[in-house]
Amino acid sequence: MDRIENKHYDVIVIGGGATGAGTARDCAMRGLKTILVERLDFTAGATGRNHGLLHSGARYAVTDQESASECIRENMILRRIASHCVEETSGLFITLPEDDLEYQKLFVEACGRAGIDAAIIDPKEARLLEPTVNPDLIGAVRVPDGAVDPFRLTTANITDARLHGADILTYHEVVGFVRTGDSIEGVHLRHARTGEQMTVYGSLVINAAGIWGYRIAELAGVRINMFPSKGSLIIFGHRVNNMVINRCRKPADADILVPGDTISLIGTTSTRIPFDEVDHMEVTPEEVDILMREGEKLAPILGQVRILRAYSGVRPLVASDDDPSGRSISRGIVCLDHEVRDGLKGFITITGGKLMTYRLMAEWATDLACRKLGVTVGCRTAELPLPGSDQPKDSEGRKRKAHIIELSTEQKAAEGRHGTMSRYIPSQNAQDDALVCECEQVSVGEVNYAIENLYVQNLINLRRRTRIGMGTCQGELCACRAAGLLDKANRCSERTLQDLRGFLNERWKGMYPIAWGETLAEIQFTSWLYNGVCGLDQVKESEGKPVINQ
Amino acid sequence: MRYDTVIIGGGLSGLMSGIALARAGQQVAIISAGQSALHFSSGSFELYGGAEHPLEGIATLPAEHPYQKLGVERVAHYAEQTQELLREAGIQTTGSTARNHYRFTPIGMVKPAWLSLADYTPLESADALPWRRVLVANLEGYLDFFPSFVSAGLARLGVESSVATISLPQLEHLRKSTTEMRATNIARILEGDVLRALAEALNERVGDAEAILMPAVVGLKSDKAMFELREQVSVPICFLPTMPASVPGVRTQLTLSSYFQQLGGAYLIGDNVVRGNFEDGRLVSVRSNNHEDVEFRADNFIIATGSFFSHGLVAETNRIVEPIFGLDVEADEQRTQWYAKDLYARQPYMSYGLRSDDRFRPMIEGRPIENLYAVGSILAGQRAIEEGTGGGVATTTALYVADLILNR
Amino acid sequence: MNKHNNISPNGFEQCIKCTICTVYCPMTAVNPDYPGPKQAGPDGERYRLKKPLFYDEALKYCLNCKRCEVACPSNVRIGDIIQAARIKYSKHSPKLRDVILANTDFMGTVATTMAPIVNATLRLKPVKHVMDAVLAIDHHRTFPSYASQRFETWYRKEAAAKQAEYPKQVSYFHGCYANYNNPQLGKDLVKVLNALGYGVQLLEKERCCGVAKISNGLVEAARRDAKRNLSAIRQAVAEGREVVATSSTCTFTIRDEYPHLLGLENDDVRSQISLATRFIYRLIEERKAKLVFRKDFRLRVAYHTACHIERMGWSIYSTSLLRMIPGIEWLPLESQCCGIAGTYGFKRENYNFSQAIGEKLFQRIKELNPDVVSTDCETCKWQIEMSTSVPVENPISILARALDEEATREANGVK
Repeated sequence: MDRIENKHYDVIVIGGGATGAGTARDCAMRGLKTILVERLDFTAGATGRNHGLLHSGARYAVTDQESASECIRENMILRRIASHCVEETSGLFITLPEDDLEYQKLFVEACGRAGIDAAIIDPKEARLLEPTVNPDLIGAVRVPDGAVDPFRLTTANITDARLHGADILTYHEVVGFVRTGDSIEGVHLRHARTGEQMTVYGSLVINAAGIWGYRIAELAGVRINMFPSKGSLIIFGHRVNNMVINRCRKPADADILVPGDTISLIGTTSTRIPFDEVDHMEVTPEEVDILMREGEKLAPILGQVRILRAYSGVRPLVASDDDPSGRSISRGIVCLDHEVRDGLKGFITITGGKLMTYRLMAEWATDLACRKLGVTVGCRTAELPLPGSDQPKDSEGRKRKAHIIELSTEQKAAEGRHGTMSRYIPSQNAQDDALVCECEQVSVGEVNYAIENLYVQNLINLRRRTRIGMGTCQGELCACRAAGLLDKANRCSERTLQDLRGFLNERWKGMYPIAWGETLAEIQFTSWLYNGVCGLDQVKESEGKPVINQ
Repeated sequence: MRYDTVIIGGGLSGLMSGIALARAGQQVAIISAGQSALHFSSGSFELYGGAEHPLEGIATLPAEHPYQKLGVERVAHYAEQTQELLREAGIQTTGSTARNHYRFTPIGMVKPAWLSLADYTPLESADALPWRRVLVANLEGYLDFFPSFVSAGLARLGVESSVATISLPQLEHLRKSTTEMRATNIARILEGDVLRALAEALNERVGDAEAILMPAVVGLKSDKAMFELREQVSVPICFLPTMPASVPGVRTQLTLSSYFQQLGGAYLIGDNVVRGNFEDGRLVSVRSNNHEDVEFRADNFIIATGSFFSHGLVAETNRIVEPIFGLDVEADEQRTQWYAKDLYARQPYMSYGLRSDDRFRPMIEGRPIENLYAVGSILAGQRAIEEGTGGGVATTTALYVADLILNR
Repeated sequence: MNKHNNISPNGFEQCIKCTICTVYCPMTAVNPDYPGPKQAGPDGERYRLKKPLFYDEALKYCLNCKRCEVACPSNVRIGDIIQAARIKYSKHSPKLRDVILANTDFMGTVATTMAPIVNATLRLKPVKHVMDAVLAIDHHRTFPSYASQRFETWYRKEAAAKQAEYPKQVSYFHGCYANYNNPQLGKDLVKVLNALGYGVQLLEKERCCGVAKISNGLVEAARRDAKRNLSAIRQAVAEGREVVATSSTCTFTIRDEYPHLLGLENDDVRSQISLATRFIYRLIEERKAKLVFRKDFRLRVAYHTACHIERMGWSIYSTSLLRMIPGIEWLPLESQCCGIAGTYGFKRENYNFSQAIGEKLFQRIKELNPDVVSTDCETCKWQIEMSTSVPVENPISILARALDEEATREANGVK
C-alpha cells in the first residue's frame, strides 16, 4: 500500500465497470501512469447487470441515429479485439401479428442510414434459423447482433491495463478529494471492509463510476444532471435460443431475448428510481410477470423453461446541461471536462453511453486526458486485441477445432471463459481438473487461477471471474467447495465462512422474486444442507455491512 | 394390488410407518418417487434442538405444531420406540430423549442432536470438547469436507488440531474422474485392503492427537467397514457429516428399506402415485405411473411425500398445492408472502404443509379423509431446520399413525 | 421429442443437483472414465444445449440401466438424456462388430438355420479368439446358443391351428431371444396362457424390438423396426388383443424407449403392451383365471431384478407369481445391475467393467446356491450363467414347469 501512496499518478480512474476498466487500459497503453480504484468489485454495478447484448445498433436506428452508428462501429471492433468475450450469434427483429409491419420498412431504412446490415428475411427462414422464435411472426429482419460477456470483457481490460503497468485497487471507495484551490490533486480512499483510509495522488481524476458518478461529482463539488433508470431482467436455466430475438417496434419493455453462454436472458423493464435506491434495487412481482408475458411472445417455449434468477441494473441517464428537468435524455456518451464546464481542474467525467460503447467512451476520456497532460500518443484500443483474444479469430478457430476434441468438458468451458488465457489455468493433475462447480464446469485449477490472477477476495468476485455458482443449483453444490479453496488464500476461516454465508444470501436475492417450482425446492435443499447439516446460520453476519458481498 | 396399508413416500417417515405396520403383521406397500432426503441426512436426528431437554422445550412450540397435536407424552413414547426400531433394523444410535447431545458439523459448528449414528461421537456439551489435541484428516482431492473450517471450529473451543491430507494410490483411480470423487463413491472403494491402507496412513499421521476427525466416507451399505477402520486405528475416530450424498444417510435408507422388505413389505421405488379414487370420504385406491390400471387398494393409506424438495408440496406461480390428491394446504396466498428476503431469517414456506385433524388425517375442502393419514415433513406447522425437529416429527408422527391404523 | 426447440425433454429442467443419481450408477463405481450420470446427464446436457462440441464420447460407457432414473427424486429421466445425447451428437460410427451384435434378428435367422454348426463353431476356442481379435467380442463370452428350430416355425407347425379354439386371445411379442435362442420359453408361455383359456397369436411380421440397434448407434434401423412393430401392435390391439412379451427389455423398449429415444409416439397402444407375468398376475388378482400347481414341485429360486424391469417397477408381478407356487423356496436378491447391459458386456473393451459391476451379485448367488436364478431378461441370464454356473430361467418357464396343466385347464373351464 505504501507503494501506491508514494506514487504520483498521471491518471486516477474511478470505477471498475467496463468504462473504467477500458479507460484504465487506454490510459496505460498510451503510457500514462494509471491507477483504477473501485469501491467494490469489477462489474459490480451496471456492467454486471445488463443484457450482455452485443448491439448491432439496430435497436436505436429509428430513434437515435448517432447511438446506432456508434454501436455498429464498436460492435465490429469488439468482434476483433474481444473475440473470447463475444458470441457472433446474429439477431432477429421480429414482427408479430399485433405489431405494425409498416415499422419494419422504417426500421430497415434507418439501419441502412446508420450502416447496419439489416436484411428482411422470410418468416419461414427465421423459424429455421432460430427454431424457438414465435412461429406466428409475420416479419423478420436479420441484423448483426450478438452476445458479449461483460464480466469477461471487463476482466480482460483490467488484465491488459495491468500488463501495461496500471495499478488496480478494488474495495476502495472514494470518500473525498485532495483539492488545492480549483484543482483536484488526488483522492481519499476508504477500504470497504477494514475502514482503513489512504490517499492517492494524481494529476487527473477520471470519474467513470456510472450512476455512482453523480455522487463522486458531488464530492468534487460539481453537479451532473443524472437520472437512475432501473431495468429488470430474468435469467433462464439454460441456453434456449441461439440468436438474439428482438421485437421490431419502438423500443419497449422486455423485448430482447439474448443467449449468453449457458443461459438466456429476457429484459428489460425501465423505471426511473430515486438515487437512494441504486444500491438496493429489487425486482418486483409485476416486473417478473411483464418479463414472462412479453418473453413468451418472443419465444413461447420460455413458458416451459426453468427460471434461474431475476435481477436489475441501473442505467445512468444524463440530461443535457440546459435541461435540468431531464426531459431530453440521451443514451449517448457524455464526456465532461469540468475545467471548462465548472472551472474545476484535474477532473473529467465520462458517463452515459452503454456497455457497447465502453471502448469509445474510454477513448474520448483518454483523448481528453492526454490533451490535458500534453501527451500525443494515439489510441490503439480498437486495434490491439485484449488478453484472451490475442490471436486472430480465423486461424485460432481452426486451431481450436483441431485440438478441442482432446479437451475435457471443463477445459472447453474454461477456454470459452478465458480464451487464450486459459493456457495459464493449471491442469497438471487430477486435483487441478476436479470440478468445483458442476453446473458451470469450473475446475479447481480455474478457481486457483482466478484467485491468484484476477483480484479475487471473496466468492462473489470468484463468481464474476469464473461463473461459479451461476448455474442451475445457484451455489448449492459449489459454494462450500469454493469457500474451502478460497480459505487457503484467505487464511481466515471466520471471514471465509462469513463470505460463504453472504454469498448464498446474494444468490437468494436473485431467486426469491421467482421462488416457485424448482427454485423453491432448490433453496429448501440448500437450506437443509447449509443450515441443517452444516450450521452456517450460526456464523455471524460479517461486521458492519454486507457491502463486501457485492 | 391389495394391501392392508399403502404408504406413499419412502423416506424416513414412510419407512418407519411401514416397518411398524409390517412387523405387526400387516401387508404393506411403500410407493416412492425415487430415493429420499435421507440421502442428505447429517447422520444425526433431532427431536427438538431449541432446548437442552427436548421434551421440556416442545411445550413452547405453537399450537399448530405436529408435536402439540401428539402431546408431549406421545412424543416421548414414540421417540423411545424410534430408537428401538432403528436398533431392531440394524442401525445403532446413541443419544437419549431426555437430553440432547451435540455434534460437530463439517464447517466446524456445533449443533444439538437427539440420536446420532454410531459413526459420530456424541458430544456432551456445546462448548467443551473431550479432546485437547486432534488430527483433522481428509482424503486428497475430496472437496466436500473442509478441514480448515473444522480446525477453526476446534480452535474456537480451545482444541488444538493439525490437518493431514491422506493420499491413497487406490483412490487415484476415482480421482481420474473430474466429478465422481464423492463420499459415496469413496465409500465403495474403502473396504478390505484399501481400508487397511487408510488405517495405516492415519496411524502414521496421528502423532500425539487424541482423536481423528475425518469425513464420513466409510461404510455405504453396512457399518461394518466403519467399525473395522476404528479397530485398526490407534485413537478414536470421530466421523463428521459431509456435503451430499451422505454415506451414513444412504446407509440408513438402505438398511431401513431392506428391513422393511425382510418384514414382507413391498418397496416400490421410482414410481409416482398420480391420483386416488375416493368413495364416501374414504380413499379406496390409488393409481401410479408404473402400474397404470393395476391400482393399489388398501384399508388405509399414509401420505409421507415430504416437503418441496421431495415434491410432496409444489409451488405453482400463484399457489401451493399437494399434487396427488389436491389436499388442503396451509400456506400464504400471495407469492411475496412465501419467503423472507434474508435467507437466514424465518422462511414462511418452510412451515407450509397439509392441514390435518388431531389424528393427522389430511382434508379436502375442510373434511378429513377417513382412512388417509399424513406423516413427516409434509405436515403443516413445523419449521424443521429452525427448531431442530425434522427427524423427530418424521418418526413420532409415523409411529403414532401406525398405532392408529393398527388399533382401528 | 422436442426436436424443434432447443429444450431438452426428459425432465431436464427438474434436476435439483442433489447427486442422488451418482450413488446408484453401477458404471461410476468401476470406470473413472465415465463421467457419471449427473455430469453425463443433466449437467452435460446444459452445455450441449449451448454448443454440441461439448458432447463427450465417454457417454458411450453408460449402460443405459436407468438405475439413476429409478433413484432420482425429481423424475429426471437421466438415462434418456444420456442416450438421446448419444443419438444426437455421437460421431462414432458403429463398427462391424457393433452391427453384428445389434442385428440380433438377422444373425438369428442365419444362425438358427445352421444351428448345430454355428453353436459348435461359436464355442471353439480358436473361433472365440478370432472373434476377439477381429471383432473385439470378448473371448470369455459364450455366445448364446441358437436353437435348431425357431419359435415361429414351431408355432406355425404345432400351435397356430389350435389357438382359435380358446375363447380369449392375446398377441405374443416373442422377441429375438425366444425365437432364435430359447423357443422353449415361447412354448412355455403358450402352454400357460392356453391353460388359462387364452389363445396366443403372433404379431404380423414382428421385428427385433431394436434395443441392441439403439445402443449400438443404428438408430435409423431401429426406427424402421420400431415402426413396423408399432403398426403390428396397433393391428392386434384394434382386433381386441393385448400384446404380451416374455422379455423385460423388449417390453421396456417398446413402451418407453420408442417414444423417449426414437421419437415414436405410442400413447394409443402403450397400456396394451405388457409383460406376460403382469398379464397373468392381473388375471389371477381380478379372479378372471386360476393357477393350479403340481404338488410335487420343489425349487429353490433366487430372483434377479433386471435393470429394465426395475425401471418399469414390474418385478413385483414376476415375484408375486413365482411366490404363488407352493413348492418354491424363495431366496431374495438385492436389486442390482449384473453388468451385461445387453450387447454392452460382449464387447472386449467392456468385459472387465461388466464383470466388476456384477461381482457382488455373483458372489451372493454363489453363497445362496439356488437351484435356479429367475430373471425376466435374457442377457442377464447369459451373464449370470457364465459368471456363476447357476442355471437361469424366465419366470414363465418356472411357472410352466410348476403348473398342473390339467387341473389349471379344468379350473379355468378350458377343454
